Amino acid sequence: MAKVQVLNVAVLDNPSPFGNPFQFEITFECMEDLPEDLEWKIIYVGSAESEEYDQTLDSVLVGPVPAGRHMFVFQADAPNTGLIPESDAVGVTVALITCTYNGQEFIRIGYYVNNEYTDPELRENPPVKPDYTQLQRNILASNPRVTRFHINWDGCSDKMEDSENVDPSPNSSSSSSMVPSSCLAGKALPVGLLSGNSMDCL
Amino acid sequence: MKLLKPSWVSHNGKPIFSVDIHPDGTKFATGGQGEDSGKVVIWNMAPVLREEDEKNVNIPKMLCQMDNHLACVNCVRWSNTGLYLASGGDDKLVMVWKRAAFIGPSTVFGSSSKLANVEQWRCVTILRNHTGDVMDVAWSPHDVWLASCSVDNTIVIWNARKFPEIVASLKGHTGLVKGLTWDPVGKYIASQADDHSLKVWRTMDWQQETNITKPFNECGGTTHVLRLSWSPDGQYLVSAHAMNNSGPTAQIIERDGWKTNMDFVGHRKAVTVVKFNPKIFKKKQRNGSSPKPSCPYCCCAVGSKDRSLSVWLTSLKRPLVVIHDLFDKSIMDISWTLNGLGILVCSMDGTVAYLNFSQDELGDPLNEDEKNAIHQNIYGKSLAITTEAQLSTTIIENPEMLKYQQERQRAEQVNHRMTHEAQAHKLTSVVNGESLEDIRKNLLKKQVETRTADGRRRITPLCIAQLDTGDFSPALFNSVPILPGSASQLTSQLSSDSNTATSNLDPLSTPLGSKAPDDAKDRSVASSLNTTAMKSNLLLTTSTKMEPMKALDSRFTERSKVMPGVTISMATPSSEKEPCCVVAIPVAVLKLPTPTPQKAFTLQVSTEPPVYLEVENDVSAVSGAKLSQLRCSREGREWDTLLPSRVITAAGSSDVVAVACEDRMLSVFSACGRRLLPAILLPATMSALHCSGFYVMALTACTECTVSQSLLTQQGVPVIGLSNGKSYCFNSSLETWNLIADKQDSLVQCADFKNCISSQDAPVSQGPLALTQGHNLNAGRLASRLSSTPHHLQHGMTLVFLENQLASALTLRSSTEYHYWLLIYARFLVTEGSDYRLRELCKDLLGPVHKSAGSAWEPTTLGLRKRDLLRELLPVIGQNLHFQRLFTEYQDQLELLGNK
Repeated sequence: MAKVQVLNVAVLDNPSPFGNPFQFEITFECMEDLPEDLEWKIIYVGSAESEEYDQTLDSVLVGPVPAGRHMFVFQADAPNTGLIPESDAVGVTVALITCTYNGQEFIRIGYYVNNEYTDPELRENPPVKPDYTQLQRNILASNPRVTRFHINWDGCSDKMEDSENVDPSPNSSSSSSMVPSSCLAGKALPVGLLSGNSMDCL
Repeated sequence: MKLLKPSWVSHNGKPIFSVDIHPDGTKFATGGQGEDSGKVVIWNMAPVLREEDEKNVNIPKMLCQMDNHLACVNCVRWSNTGLYLASGGDDKLVMVWKRAAFIGPSTVFGSSSKLANVEQWRCVTILRNHTGDVMDVAWSPHDVWLASCSVDNTIVIWNARKFPEIVASLKGHTGLVKGLTWDPVGKYIASQADDHSLKVWRTMDWQQETNITKPFNECGGTTHVLRLSWSPDGQYLVSAHAMNNSGPTAQIIERDGWKTNMDFVGHRKAVTVVKFNPKIFKKKQRNGSSPKPSCPYCCCAVGSKDRSLSVWLTSLKRPLVVIHDLFDKSIMDISWTLNGLGILVCSMDGTVAYLNFSQDELGDPLNEDEKNAIHQNIYGKSLAITTEAQLSTTIIENPEMLKYQQERQRAEQVNHRMTHEAQAHKLTSVVNGESLEDIRKNLLKKQVETRTADGRRRITPLCIAQLDTGDFSPALFNSVPILPGSASQLTSQLSSDSNTATSNLDPLSTPLGSKAPDDAKDRSVASSLNTTAMKSNLLLTTSTKMEPMKALDSRFTERSKVMPGVTISMATPSSEKEPCCVVAIPVAVLKLPTPTPQKAFTLQVSTEPPVYLEVENDVSAVSGAKLSQLRCSREGREWDTLLPSRVITAAGSSDVVAVACEDRMLSVFSACGRRLLPAILLPATMSALHCSGFYVMALTACTECTVSQSLLTQQGVPVIGLSNGKSYCFNSSLETWNLIADKQDSLVQCADFKNCISSQDAPVSQGPLALTQGHNLNAGRLASRLSSTPHHLQHGMTLVFLENQLASALTLRSSTEYHYWLLIYARFLVTEGSDYRLRELCKDLLGPVHKSAGSAWEPTTLGLRKRDLLRELLPVIGQNLHFQRLFTEYQDQLELLGNK
């Protein structure tokens, strides 16, 4: 069974200017003392089209982890704008937090991230070359997508078993985490319209 | 008989392998296959029992589900106390679950469903030893042991008081072991396996008592489980799948000589599970019929692969009832309610059935007294503890007692409600994060980040709660990281590094302060505003930008194929970097050979408030004379003093500091560094020095035996522990050394008083008696082997042990421990019915009713008022109605005294 359960992730400093560091306050619970550190990573998806543009913003080791409930803040620098395709700079993308133990990923927490100009002028007529200083980053903190994977917690040698576990994992992801995007949009529509109107008034 | 199939009890159609009703009858657990893991679910019993509760949407049906098992769960079993749940599964693990009291309903992070776990059951231990699927688990009577059996052909006996200690591993089966049952008397455990055998093992030496094979020779094929059962009177053991004349049976094995002459016949396919009713019955006496004495009998339910269930009474030749086609697939497990009238049955088809009998059908259940009498008759001892049920049959003789009993019940209910409210309150505070808000505000700044050898960031997480309690205690000591630089100071108290800074322990005592709750509120309001604003922003775009979203969606669930960039190798922290939280209690382990003078050393002598001593020898002074310097820092204030000789050892408490020098001089200083006494010349060189409160103990090197441990209690009673396992304390009134702990004392090991420890008593692990006996004390280690000693002998041993404890606590002047042991002692006397002793105890506590000058009676003992103690004991005495006269007598006298 999973020795580590993530209980909560709070997104700090959100929304914030694009250049601000990411800050996640992570609360997790550990069943028993872990001999090894946990490795946490923040991955910024530069483009929906290809994994090529993924950036690992940072990775930290977290330890020692005795049995109990723990929390820490994971802060990582904003993505390197040079590595983001210009066409994908504005709009919706994804930030991922992953945690691995002994090199095996056991949880993946995904957030939608929306990058938008705050200035209505710029929003109407976005510059061809994205102006990152004017961009605001919004992380949809209320709707994390959590996928859990079974891993071998007792040793690092059993890579075989690990790879066996990988196969069924897409199905294994808890059903709750798989809210289809259409549903998301559908639910959001009335709210979205309302706020849209109010913005027009402004 | 009523039959019901609650359709809501399901694992989404997946097979249910095991079912067990909680001893208090309010809930039950099921175990089986989950979506991609094993699953244990705890259900509310009320909706099964009552239709109106089933329809009431406010009454939860599912209380908790745990999918922590990696593979199918084959067995779930409540402990006899109901505090624990054990589960065993195909993942080779046994997990022991306990309810977390202070955490209320919660959802799983990231899950959108509103279904919360009403109760929180968390795994407290994982028992790993089996190399194959665990098929069955069983708690021994009194929850001393937990047994588990596995397809690895072994049975493992775990020490249920000290998980994960293994008491024994029973080897001998040559096939998959699929069922276990304990003898209710505690003398045996029986197992049934695929190797066509049923083995009975002794609990005394864990060797095989007998091996029964004949009824199983013909058994072909395999059943998933072979759950056998022992009758509540201990006389019969009934096996699962056996064969007789090529027909499937459940074999009855008599305890007397392990004879196999009878069986339950009639099932068309193999018997998978047998379960005895926990009650013993006697024929219902009808009005008018001649009251002829009828033999008590047992009741047994048998489930089979043929999907039918039969219920038998040992007094009848034919089954009481047979229910065919109850399920679509094989029956897997059966559980009776504790009152013996209800039964839950589960099946491979994923459904559960509930049967309810009336007393007319089964007979009159014997009460605990009668059941005990039967045990007493057969085995010469009673097995049961005084219980609520037992009391209900005794007539209450006076109104006081009745009032008391009713009050007690009411108090229990109120208590119950209060704990619930407390839980709810606790929950909200946790959910709102109020208690955590201060921590969270500064977490980023406060958390310790280091670099590993290969330059990677490493964050030490802040521990916000212990697991077992679920209590939130901000910044527990062990969670606060200690930088490598300061670690040495804590690890080796006598380190020679005198330069170590002493101030960096400050954050330990003041964990992050408690500031600005208003601020916190503002912040959460602000953040919630932010989220809503942000959400609407985001969602507006979401609807217009669907295409890339789809592409992004896959990213949530796919594990990275290649670990991008970062190396996976974990830097194993070197030992010195490992933050260390060991602060040795001021108990040194010293041999009598005197310590050699060191150049310098530092030690912490008290944590509350933090006091540090620093000693530097051979500080050069004028004209070649060597001086020693003693420096003491206490809450940031420092003082120092000089000594003419080299300091061998030093000790201190929050009130005094003592140092012993090479010239056999002992100097004592006040907390502020004032010299309290002229230097004392000791008869021999100093060996060890201890301070506690205002007391100083000096142990000189002239004694002959090896002292392995010595300490001074808070009350100033010197205690020494010798290497032969004996501990003595000094009785200043007798001026003798009294024995207070003996490791080898067989009395201690056989004492059985566990029943008398109430869960409300905080275990006293801090008192001087507990400290001395500490690891030496194996009290009750052998106690559970009921069979190894005759009951009256064990009774005597326990009595002696408890009286010893009382006397020791008295000598040690440890009032909390005296109080603790007095309560246990009283409870023991009450349960065991020792009238004379109880009377004497009460008499002493009450003292003379009329004041007389000649009386030597002291109204207090160790600062506790004796009559208050008696007042505390009376409810305990009142628990056993046998003592109601004693109860009334002393109740009246106390009242009388109170009125005066």
